[in-house]
Amino acid sequence: MRILIVEDEPDLLRSLAQALREEGYAVDTAPDGDEGIFKAESYDYDALILDVMLPKLDGWEILKRLRKTKKTPVLMLTARDQTRDRVRGLDTGADDYVVKPFDLEEIFARLRAIIRRSTSKTTNTIEIGDVTVDIAARTILQSDKPVELTAREYALVEFLALHRGEVVTRTQLYEHLFDENDETLSNLLDVHVSNVRKKLGAEFIVTRRGHGYCIE
Amino acid sequence: MKIFNSIRWRLQMWYGLILVVVLAGFGFTAFQMERGRLFNRIDDEFHRRVNELGNFLRRPPPGRGPRGSFDGPPPERRDDPENIPDQDREHPLQALKDFRLPPRIANQFDETDTNGFYYIIWGTDGHRLGSSTNAPERPSLPGSAIARLQGQSRNIVNLPGQPPIPPEPSPPQMLGNFRETTFSTQSGEFITVGRFIGRELHDLQFAALELVGIGSGILLFGLVGGWWMAGRAIRPIQDISSAAVKISAGDLSQRIDTAETESELGKLAAVLNSTFARLETSFAQQQQFTSDAAHELRTPVSVMLTQTQTALNRDRTAPEYRETLAACQRSAQRMRRLIESLLELARLDAGQEQLKRLTFDCAATVHECTEAVSPLAEERGVRIISELEPLNCVGDPERISQVITNLLTNAIQYNRIGGQVRVSLKSEKGLGTLIVSDSGVGIPAADLPHVFERFYRGDKARSGSNGHSGLGLAICKAIIEAHGGTIEVTSEPERGTTFTVRLPTTA
Repeated sequence: MRILIVEDEPDLLRSLAQALREEGYAVDTAPDGDEGIFKAESYDYDALILDVMLPKLDGWEILKRLRKTKKTPVLMLTARDQTRDRVRGLDTGADDYVVKPFDLEEIFARLRAIIRRSTSKTTNTIEIGDVTVDIAARTILQSDKPVELTAREYALVEFLALHRGEVVTRTQLYEHLFDENDETLSNLLDVHVSNVRKKLGAEFIVTRRGHGYCIE
Repeated sequence: MKIFNSIRWRLQMWYGLILVVVLAGFGFTAFQMERGRLFNRIDDEFHRRVNELGNFLRRPPPGRGPRGSFDGPPPERRDDPENIPDQDREHPLQALKDFRLPPRIANQFDETDTNGFYYIIWGTDGHRLGSSTNAPERPSLPGSAIARLQGQSRNIVNLPGQPPIPPEPSPPQMLGNFRETTFSTQSGEFITVGRFIGRELHDLQFAALELVGIGSGILLFGLVGGWWMAGRAIRPIQDISSAAVKISAGDLSQRIDTAETESELGKLAAVLNSTFARLETSFAQQQQFTSDAAHELRTPVSVMLTQTQTALNRDRTAPEYRETLAACQRSAQRMRRLIESLLELARLDAGQEQLKRLTFDCAATVHECTEAVSPLAEERGVRIISELEPLNCVGDPERISQVITNLLTNAIQYNRIGGQVRVSLKSEKGLGTLIVSDSGVGIPAADLPHVFERFYRGDKARSGSNGHSGLGLAICKAIIEAHGGTIEVTSEPERGTTFTVRLPTTA
C-alpha cells in the first residue's frame, strides 16, 4: 500500500511518515499544497492523508482538483473540529476526517478502513483457500497458524489479496509497495514473491508471463 | 395578581378610569344643564303667573285704600257679577270659596289639565280657602311654611306715598312631583302657585338614562379601542422581548423585525438591533480567537503525540530517541510561546498589564534592538540601516523594545536574501515616529487591513514552524495602543512593507 502525506509541519510529517512506514506502508510526503497536488495526480496512491491548512494550496483546493481525475481515498487532517468544517470536507469528497491532535492508532485504523472501502471489501479478513489475510491485525494465517512475513512481504500479499482475481502488473506493484525514496533493484520484487511462495505455497501467487501476478 | 403587572392591563385600567371620569363628568354636566334649562323654562312661566296673580291681588279696589286683600273683591270681580255675588263682600272668606279669577288670569291656569298650573289660596291660619280644580289635595299649609312666609312679610318696606312692595315670591321649590311657590298677600293670606311636573321629571329621567346609555356605549367602544391600541403599541415590545429571549438563549443571529422604524419603539428596536449585531460580532471574534488559539495548540500537541507514539512502538536507537525528544521540545517551545502570547494579549485586553511610565532614550532602545537582531540579519544576509535622531519617549522601555524587536524580526524574515531593513527614528509633530521598512515581497492589498488581527496570516498556512504564532503584530498593536500611540502599515507588492509607530514624547 502506498500513501501520500501532505502536511506542512515538518516534525509531524516526519513522524507520521515513519510510523506508517513501520506499519508496512510505502509513504511519500509533500510539505505544501503544490507538491501535494502534483504527486497526488501523478501516482495512483492507495490513500492520501491531507492536512487542511497548507501553504500555497490548501487541503480543500487539492481535494477539489484531485476529485476531477482520481478516486484516491482521502483522509483529512485538521485542527478545526467544527461540524461545518467536517461537513465541508466530506462534501468536497474526503472519505474520512481526523481532528488534531490524534492518536496514531486512530490514523492507522481509519486509513485501513478507507483503503478497504475503496476496494469494496466490507470485512477486515480475506479468505484465500486455507490462507486468511487479516488486514486489521496485519497478519496472515494458514490453517489457523500464523505465518511470519516481513512488512514488505505482507504488503505484497495484502495488495494482491485486495485485488484478488485481477492481474496486477509489476509496475503497479512497484508503485504501491515502494515509495519515492526506495532505490529498488528491479529484481527485488521477484525476491519478495519467491519468499512469499516459500512460506504460503508455490501456487499461492500465480505468475502471468508478460502481464504480472495474480491471486486466484 | 399577575395580570396587574402587565403593562397592557395597567394602561387599559388607567385609560378606562380616565374615560369613566370624563364621561361621568360630561354626562353629569349635560344632565344638570338639561335639568336647569327645563326648570328655567318652567320657572319663567311661574314668574309670569305669580306676577300676574300678585299684581291682580295687590291692586287696590277703588275707594278702599291701598290695601288690596281678599276681604273685598277685586275690581274685576265686580265687573263680573256672575262670578262674584254681592253677598260675598260681607263674607270675604266665604266669598273666596267661590273665588274666580278673571278670565285673563284664569287662562294662565289651565284647570282642565292636570299638568297645568294650579293655585291654592290659604287663609292666614293656613286653612285652604280655595284653589283651582287641578290643584292637588292638601288640607292646610304646614306651620313651618307659614312661619317662614310671615317672617319674610315683615321685611316689607313701606315707602311713603307708594304701595308697599310685597316680598318677591321665593323661587319655586320641589314638593314631590310638584313644583310650587307660596307667597303671602298683604292681607296675610297665602297663595300657592304650582305645577305638576311629573311628566317633565319622567322625561328628565329618560334623558338621564339615555346619557348613561350613550356614555356606556362610548366607554365600551373606548375600552375596546384602547385595548386594541394598547395591543398595537405593545406588539413591538413583544417582538423585542421575543427576539431578546432567543438571543439570551444563544441564538445571536436573531434580530427584531422593525417595520415601524419611525416610532419610538422602532428606534429602540434599531438601537437594540445594532447592539445585537455588535454583540454577535464580538462573540464571533471571541469564538474565532478561541478556536484559533485551540487550533494553534492542536498542531504541536499532534506532533508530540505522533512523535512519542512512534518512538514507543518499538525499541529505538539513542539518536532516534534524541530526535524524538528534540521534536517534542520544539513543539513544547512553540506551545510555550503561544501560551505566553495569549496570556500577554489577555492581560493587555483586560488592561491589567502594568505599563511603566518612564521617560527613556528611545534612540538607545532602538539601537539595542537592532544589535539584538543583527545575528538573524547576518544569517539571512539582510543589511540593517538605521537613522536615529536622539529622542526621548514616554512609556515602558521593555514593552517598546519588544515591539521594535518584533517589527525588526518580521522585516528580516519576510525580506529577500541580501535585502535591507531601514530603521528611522525622528520627532514629527511632537510624536516620536519610528519607521521600519523592508525590501521584501510586501503584503497583498487584500491582507493589509488584517495584519494586526489575531492569528491572521496572509498565506493561510501556519508558519508556526518558524516560530510565529500569528499574534506578534496583534500584541504590538495592543502594546502601542496601551501607550496611547498608533501603529500603521503600508506595503507595495515586490517593493517592501513599512510599519510606522508613533509614540507620545511627553507624559
